[in-house]
Amino acid sequence: MSDQVCRECHRIISSQTCPICGSSNLSADWSGMVIIIDPENSEIAKKIDVKVADKYALKVR
Amino acid sequence: MVEESVIFVVKTTANQERSVANMITLVARKDHLDIRAIIAPDELKGYVLIEAPEPGVVEQAIQTVPHARTVVKGKSTIEEISHFLTPKPTVTGITEGAIIEVTSGPFKGERARVKRVDEGHEEITVELFDAVVPIPITIRGDTVRVLRKEEEENS
Repeated sequence: MSDQVCRECHRIISSQTCPICGSSNLSADWSGMVIIIDPENSEIAKKIDVKVADKYALKVR
Repeated sequence: MVEESVIFVVKTTANQERSVANMITLVARKDHLDIRAIIAPDELKGYVLIEAPEPGVVEQAIQTVPHARTVVKGKSTIEEISHFLTPKPTVTGITEGAIIEVTSGPFKGERARVKRVDEGHEEITVELFDAVVPIPITIRGDTVRVLRKEEEENS
């Protein structure tokens, strides 16, 4: 998988810079995927403190 | 009033957890199913965890998804799966002085003694047993297997 993860916000992205925080501090070494679809009602989103629906990595190195 | 969410477990083909999670997301968005979140932890091979209010929507969502097999009977609570959300560092359990075996990379199969553990970077510095001159090498914490814990008192 060539997807990269933004080290700042843990988003899984396929571009060279993170579209949300504008950071180019990316890592290809990550594990665990969380997809938040409904951030308002999701308990998991609250646990990991996520307010925007997106794909996230659990762990980034 | 929003229904409380519970966790359902879906069995998948091994190594297809992420693609299944992606596909379920697409289906849920397209059909407006009430699926709130999906977790595909690396530690849990062959399963994905789905947060939804009731099992029917999960059943419906996986109908057309390839590699998704069945919804496991029963449900789980957020508390039971919350340890997946805060992964512990891979160097946990490795102590200075422990004997380890390297499991990947150029030193695969070599035994070594741990000299230093760097929890922040999840790296350990080891000295190989078979090396003529002891040279410390730094390797990732997840590429080793602990053979014996610290034995410094005896040696």
